[in-house]
Amino acid sequence: MDTGELLVITMGLPLLGAVLLAGLARRGRTAVRSGALVITLLTLVLALVIAWRFPGDGVVDDGWGVSTVAWLGTQSPWDIQLSVGLDGLGLWLFVLSALLMFTAVLVSWESITHDEGLFYAMLLLLECGCLGVFAARDVILFYVFFEFTLIPLFFLIGIWGSEQRQYAARKFFVYTLAGSVLTFLSLLAIVVWDAQQSGRMTFSIPALTSSLQLQPIRPLAWQLLVFWGLFAGFAIKVPLFPLHTWLPLAHVQAPTAGSVFLAGILLKIGTYGFVRFNLAMLPEASAICMPLMLSLAVAGVLYGALVSLAQQDIKRLIAYSSVSHLGYCMLGLFALNSAGLQGATLQMVNHGISTGALFALVGMLYERYHTREIRELGGLARRLPWLAFFLVVFTFSSIGLPGLNGFAGELLILLGIFQRAWGSGSAVAATSLQVIAVLAVLGVVLGAWYMLWMVQRVLFGPLREPSAVAGHAVHDLTRREIVALAPLAVLVVWIGVQPGYFLQRMAPTLDRVVVVAQDALQQGPVDPRATLGGGATAEQLVRR
Amino acid sequence: MFVDLSTVSLVWPEFMLILIATWMYLGGTFSRGRAMWTGLALVTYVVVATVLWRNERQLTVEAAEGLVRVNGPLIVDYLGQASRYACLGIGVLLTLLAARAGGPQLATEVLGTIMMLVAGLMLVSRANELVFLFVSLELISIPTYVLLYLGRSDRANSEATVKYFFLSIFASSLLVYGMSFLYGVGQGTTLIVGTASEPGIQQAVAQLPAHQQSLFLIGLVSVLCGLGFKLAAVPFHFYAPDVYQGTTHINAGLLAVAPKAASILALIRLVVAVVPPDWAAGWRLLAVVAMASMTWGNVCALWQTDLRRLMAFSSIAHGGYMLIGLAVALASPATGGIAATLLYLTVYVLAALGVFAALAYLSDDACDVRRVSELAGLARGRPWVAGVLAVCLFSLAGLPPLAGFWGKLTLFTGAIQVAWESESGTWGWFLALGLVGVVNAAIGAAYYLRVISAMYFTPPAASWAGRGGPGTALAMSVCGVLVLVGGLLPGFVLRTAELADPLRQQARTAVFTPVTTLTEEPAAHPAPVVVPAASADRPHLVPEVGS
Repeated sequence: MDTGELLVITMGLPLLGAVLLAGLARRGRTAVRSGALVITLLTLVLALVIAWRFPGDGVVDDGWGVSTVAWLGTQSPWDIQLSVGLDGLGLWLFVLSALLMFTAVLVSWESITHDEGLFYAMLLLLECGCLGVFAARDVILFYVFFEFTLIPLFFLIGIWGSEQRQYAARKFFVYTLAGSVLTFLSLLAIVVWDAQQSGRMTFSIPALTSSLQLQPIRPLAWQLLVFWGLFAGFAIKVPLFPLHTWLPLAHVQAPTAGSVFLAGILLKIGTYGFVRFNLAMLPEASAICMPLMLSLAVAGVLYGALVSLAQQDIKRLIAYSSVSHLGYCMLGLFALNSAGLQGATLQMVNHGISTGALFALVGMLYERYHTREIRELGGLARRLPWLAFFLVVFTFSSIGLPGLNGFAGELLILLGIFQRAWGSGSAVAATSLQVIAVLAVLGVVLGAWYMLWMVQRVLFGPLREPSAVAGHAVHDLTRREIVALAPLAVLVVWIGVQPGYFLQRMAPTLDRVVVVAQDALQQGPVDPRATLGGGATAEQLVRR
Repeated sequence: MFVDLSTVSLVWPEFMLILIATWMYLGGTFSRGRAMWTGLALVTYVVVATVLWRNERQLTVEAAEGLVRVNGPLIVDYLGQASRYACLGIGVLLTLLAARAGGPQLATEVLGTIMMLVAGLMLVSRANELVFLFVSLELISIPTYVLLYLGRSDRANSEATVKYFFLSIFASSLLVYGMSFLYGVGQGTTLIVGTASEPGIQQAVAQLPAHQQSLFLIGLVSVLCGLGFKLAAVPFHFYAPDVYQGTTHINAGLLAVAPKAASILALIRLVVAVVPPDWAAGWRLLAVVAMASMTWGNVCALWQTDLRRLMAFSSIAHGGYMLIGLAVALASPATGGIAATLLYLTVYVLAALGVFAALAYLSDDACDVRRVSELAGLARGRPWVAGVLAVCLFSLAGLPPLAGFWGKLTLFTGAIQVAWESESGTWGWFLALGLVGVVNAAIGAAYYLRVISAMYFTPPAASWAGRGGPGTALAMSVCGVLVLVGGLLPGFVLRTAELADPLRQQARTAVFTPVTTLTEEPAAHPAPVVVPAASADRPHLVPEVGS
């Protein structure tokens, strides 16, 4: 079977499954969750086959495994297409979505006790949406999937969440939507600009990318405006520092599977969007905004780390650590060089694996002790050795221990940002960039501090358990839970030992973005009267 | 203005509707069988659609190719032809919705009045003459008063009826007042040219001497006031929350749909066709009203706890959205703004009717579901109803993959297109229009989500019974399914709306010829007038439609 068809089947399977499960709901819990497991497993296998077929050197030009159908019929003046395909940027996130959904289904196995049919249907819809985001090759199709992911997650948080779930679900939804509608407007602006230049309206992402790289949006003020419009949606999704306030609430209130997927995949949609649209389509605006974006990113790194240090609730701690880690991804992206971009993209996958797994572990801990308070727990390593083992592994992965996956990503990101700060080309901005680079290193130290401190308090020292469950025998991880975590642990080691396998498949795609960004950085804006207002100072900084 | 036999044959379907409605009024005094009369009404709509199809298929096909013809007070173009089918569809939905309305005694009165209203809508969609347009609009207003009065017999309902009646009369008189100016300025009552001897208001206005511009402006503003009332656009929206709240779900659904559709169609016929493209006051007015309506409607809806009040404010906001497309069309005719408005209108009608049908399904005269909190736990008790409501509300919020998304997509694309292509002074307006529009989409989501979260996230407060009967259930399901299918496969609606846009390229260069008989070729008739494209020199983005 050719890969295009395989890709469509992989994305259609969860959708079909969701409909099936809604029908199976009356058959009882076992039928529903086994059905969900079978479907996610099949999806995962297909995704792995796709990844295995992906060319080893990563050279895929405008997309690989493409299949395209005109959405609105061939006669319509709107050339919107149902077009999917993968490239180096989307590939691993695509596979990770399928993998994390497998984990999410397994961790929900016992913890979801009502409306299972709807729950697993929503999970599968969410999976379909995420797979679609990473495979979409049409702007509108991308946006449809991008927004669509909100609906299942809204229900997941609202129906199966904790006490404040209604408020959390609505806040999450409206906050995210408020940003993404501005993104929508900017995407339309890109399409319309291109249509005006070429005389033909196209919504295809590769076509728009190459066309906008040849004919960037002018005047530059407009390009900046479009950049900030895109920024609004993606930065909230990431979440970048001042826009992160929805995240802790949503994470803490969401059911475990929701948290796993929210942290693992949905946040990556933001960073993915930055690469796909901001960097690739608006290189000049990206170059101009680079110092500001780096400052926001490093502020997020430090802020997230400091707030994490102060947390008492493990789930909140991991939620804030996401703010910090995603700050790293943004640092890497806006380093605008090869090392930074590759590191950031790898780190997106790494964070998905390690934080997804950490949320799953917190969920397992909560199922056993009905608390997530650090002070109520202690010395659990003796009581729950398997859980302790996995918690330590994923913590090490999260703090970037050499030999595990986090190290590869963080090293590349830091390399990228140091190259940007001390490398040639941006002499005047250098001082502030150097400060940013040094602060970023500080973030790594803080990251190790709060994570290891949490692990130390929860796993080691004298045994401490909530009094309510102290008398009962608390069992260690079941086989199901180990199966849920094991693939992630394997990946942690594999990426850590052999990052090249993953990097070389994404490098050619990212290099195309890098080349454009470098050009924009070196040339600076062509038309001097094209700038307006705030852009001017930053632009001069970059040009000198 | 002339009326001959061919004109009568062109309005034959509408004529049939009015005849049968009258017959139903009479027959209702002899036989009270509600099911029978509902069945008869439904059959009537189907029969009329068939007649329409048989009689005017040739005309419709030619209209789809861009040919525009006029006959007396009628204009035969694709907008009119397609709208008539859509109006019959609205008639079917309203009939299903009203199958149990009006108590045991008044079945035929309610059903017959709805039929009159549908006939009025169908006439408005083809009006090309001021008096004809006004009378058609009254054919919608007067049945609305009757239906409001028949809704329920309590103080709130009486208040709503009286409020609507007086304000509507006032708006109608403003409309007539404005029309009188258009008549004076345009030296005739025909809107778009018929023959060389009768130039039509559009042509007269295009060559208006400078000292008459202000007269035209007065006329235009008055017309906008009159039609803005029907659209419930800010600042003519004050009646809407009270009236919706006071009346029944079914009447609220009718008010949210019929006057709005009529107003948009009349605006397209009257304003968009008549205002010359280089006349900036027109789109500025519409843009201001659009922004005010969207913002005011959505912000006020945030605090509502009464479902119908909430939907009233929501309908005000959606009226504002529809005006975006008209403003775009006025500023840049080739951009497809009218197509976007028509698409948005269609999608809104389905979603709003779906919401009101679902609410009507849960209510009856004795038990009225009023508050948002009364929907608590609906998803447990009645998952299908909750699902339909959720789909319709998400569509109103404009979320993909539901039909409402495509309405927003086309509207905002139009606004951005004008913003990109126009010179300084104009782009800021349309950028603002787009920004206000999208920000409002997010504000709107906040209150729609409140309803959805009441249904899904709170434990059931009461047990639910399908009090509204199978008619409302069917109407609700049809709307929900159409909204979902229209969202996944929007091609057909998008293309129909595109073809129905009277300003698109071919339509603006079409031959305007009177039709005398339905089968005859248009060339056999006197003095066809070729109207030059209103502004063919502007660059246009949307690729050419059709052949």
